[in-house]
Amino acid sequence: MTDRLSSGSDRLDTVLGGGLPRNGIVLIGGNPGSGKTILAQQYIFHNASTDRPAIYLTTVSEPLDKILRYGQSLDFFDPSALGTSVIYDDLGRTLNEDGLAGALTSITELLKQHRPGLLVIDSFRALRTYAADPETFRGFLHELAGRLSVLPVTSFWVGEYSSTDTSDAPEFAVADAIVSLGTEREAGRDRRVLSVIKLRGSGSMSGKHAYRLSSAGIHVFPRMADVVELDRYDRAQERMSSGVPALDAMLSDGYYRGASTLLAGPSGVGKTLLALHFIFAGAGRGETGVIATFQENPTQLERILKGFSWSLDDPGVELMYRSPVDLYLDEWVYDLLDTVHRTGATRVAIDSLGDLAASSGDELRFREYIYSLLQRCARANISVVMTQEVTDLFGVTRLSEYGISHLSDNVILLQFLRGDSRLKRALTILKSRGSAHDPFTRQYEITTDGVILGDKFEHNQDLT
Amino acid sequence: MEGSEERTDAIYSIGAVARMLGVPAQTLRAWEERYQQIVPARSEGGQRLYSRDQVDQLSFIRNQIAQGLQPADAHRLLAQHHNEAASIPAEQHPNAQASVEAATTVLLAERDPYAAEFAEYFLRTEGYVVRIVLDPAAAAQILRHEPPSVLVVDLLISGGAGLALCRTARDNGPVPVLAVSAVDQRDQAFAAGAEAFLLKPLDPLQFVSTIRDLIGTSAFLRQAELRR
Repeated sequence: MTDRLSSGSDRLDTVLGGGLPRNGIVLIGGNPGSGKTILAQQYIFHNASTDRPAIYLTTVSEPLDKILRYGQSLDFFDPSALGTSVIYDDLGRTLNEDGLAGALTSITELLKQHRPGLLVIDSFRALRTYAADPETFRGFLHELAGRLSVLPVTSFWVGEYSSTDTSDAPEFAVADAIVSLGTEREAGRDRRVLSVIKLRGSGSMSGKHAYRLSSAGIHVFPRMADVVELDRYDRAQERMSSGVPALDAMLSDGYYRGASTLLAGPSGVGKTLLALHFIFAGAGRGETGVIATFQENPTQLERILKGFSWSLDDPGVELMYRSPVDLYLDEWVYDLLDTVHRTGATRVAIDSLGDLAASSGDELRFREYIYSLLQRCARANISVVMTQEVTDLFGVTRLSEYGISHLSDNVILLQFLRGDSRLKRALTILKSRGSAHDPFTRQYEITTDGVILGDKFEHNQDLT
Repeated sequence: MEGSEERTDAIYSIGAVARMLGVPAQTLRAWEERYQQIVPARSEGGQRLYSRDQVDQLSFIRNQIAQGLQPADAHRLLAQHHNEAASIPAEQHPNAQASVEAATTVLLAERDPYAAEFAEYFLRTEGYVVRIVLDPAAAAQILRHEPPSVLVVDLLISGGAGLALCRTARDNGPVPVLAVSAVDQRDQAFAAGAEAFLLKPLDPLQFVSTIRDLIGTSAFLRQAELRR
């Protein structure tokens, strides 16, 4: 029912349940430097037209020239729109000379004269200082809101509102939507987060959504919390090769398409190699695969690949290398989804989950994200393999993997065995959802042809 | 973009269009059925709702017929114009100019003083004389004694007395009524005799152009009565 105002960014609109309420009063609160002004300008440049211009009014906290000077560096800032579809004006002088009553008269005149579709008042919070007492300010708010509500204008009240303001500031009661920009301490650093505190006329996505600021404006990464789909295991019946024929045989006939597989094992046991098998097996069949790695940069990876006569030049392989330093989980997941979408990939290898978990710092959030990512991939019939390091070098006792094994369709354990004083590698399928699998632990070797699976261990062999 | 949306907004009742164009409602329905070309939107209650674009198209058809074309040929010509993406020139709407007439008074029965203030401003700058009343009884009084060119009624005036005021206006004579409301009350408004409906908040340009159309109606009616 309520008409929506788009930000020009699909993801931000998604967080806002489709967009901000058109013709409503939107309050944007946040600390200095959180991007309030950028967000307001993003909306006005996206929506203003000569028929329905936008008016941007500065009050007293920031000079108009400064906003314009920095505004210019934004990609969407269009100097040719100034004076026609986007009108910047200063309310500071009127406020100093005639106070709130003068401001109200000026705003009313501007509304009549320009018939704007959007109106920004920045900073709105600074207007409070012009009221002798809270009653005067409430009176002003009432008068202003009354005028704004009878016109088809969406107004943005921008201010350095803090979370303690929400309950007692009268602006918050009048507003139809409240968007808060802030930071959150996580994994030893500050993460920018956007939250929707109030949104009349529709639902919004709850929680805190990470965002980044750039010259293109605000990039939001909506918090991922996809719901469970119980019926999906019945759907895909197609099998796909793991890249290792003997492993396919152990799994009945490879993985199900759209399944997720966890490869767990200690460092150096061959997890990455098994993941690469999966990607290059797909590439050999004309299926594009994405290698999402934190461990090896392109040069290092190319060196490893050469040893197995694979190459990153393979058109069916897309490398997405991100340094594990200064990594943001939200951004990375969206980055991966974009890469998969762009390349049309049907196979994804994530190497490794540990690096990703370290970037999050919050185990629950990490699990939600991985879970949502796997859900989305499963829905799109994209198969995912993930590597997970375990700490025990020998005799693995627990997977310690943030509960990801519960979320994965298949779990394969790779381990070192040192019985008979000889180092051996062994592979065990712990779980394969929806199909029977070989229950034996099998020995394997790494050769220039990759992983070569051998026989199962005999009953008299030492499996420690 | 906004402008084109307004032109396609469904605003007018079939009665309003019939009077604006001087074409009987029966004929409009027959054209719609036969040629399936100018098909108005329907309200929830099934009432026909015409947009400004459709009024212009019908006016084009009417003018072609007046010049001797058969209705079928006129519709074919309209379709051709459409295919050539040539819009129907607005001046073909013969009553548009009627609004310039002096002493066109708009009686504004509003609930909200802020809305009244803005509506009055936008109409006044277009040359209309505006009378504002915030009380439906006063509006009824003025309707009887000094009938305006057009009546604008906020249906929610005095807790919902707007519909009664619409009926009063209909029973009183030929003053066209534009009903406005913050909630969609199209069907009730048309049933009570309103000729057009706009959802609040009112877009200034759309508001003024709707008034202009309706006053055209009124002027047309007056001319028709004079001829009689």
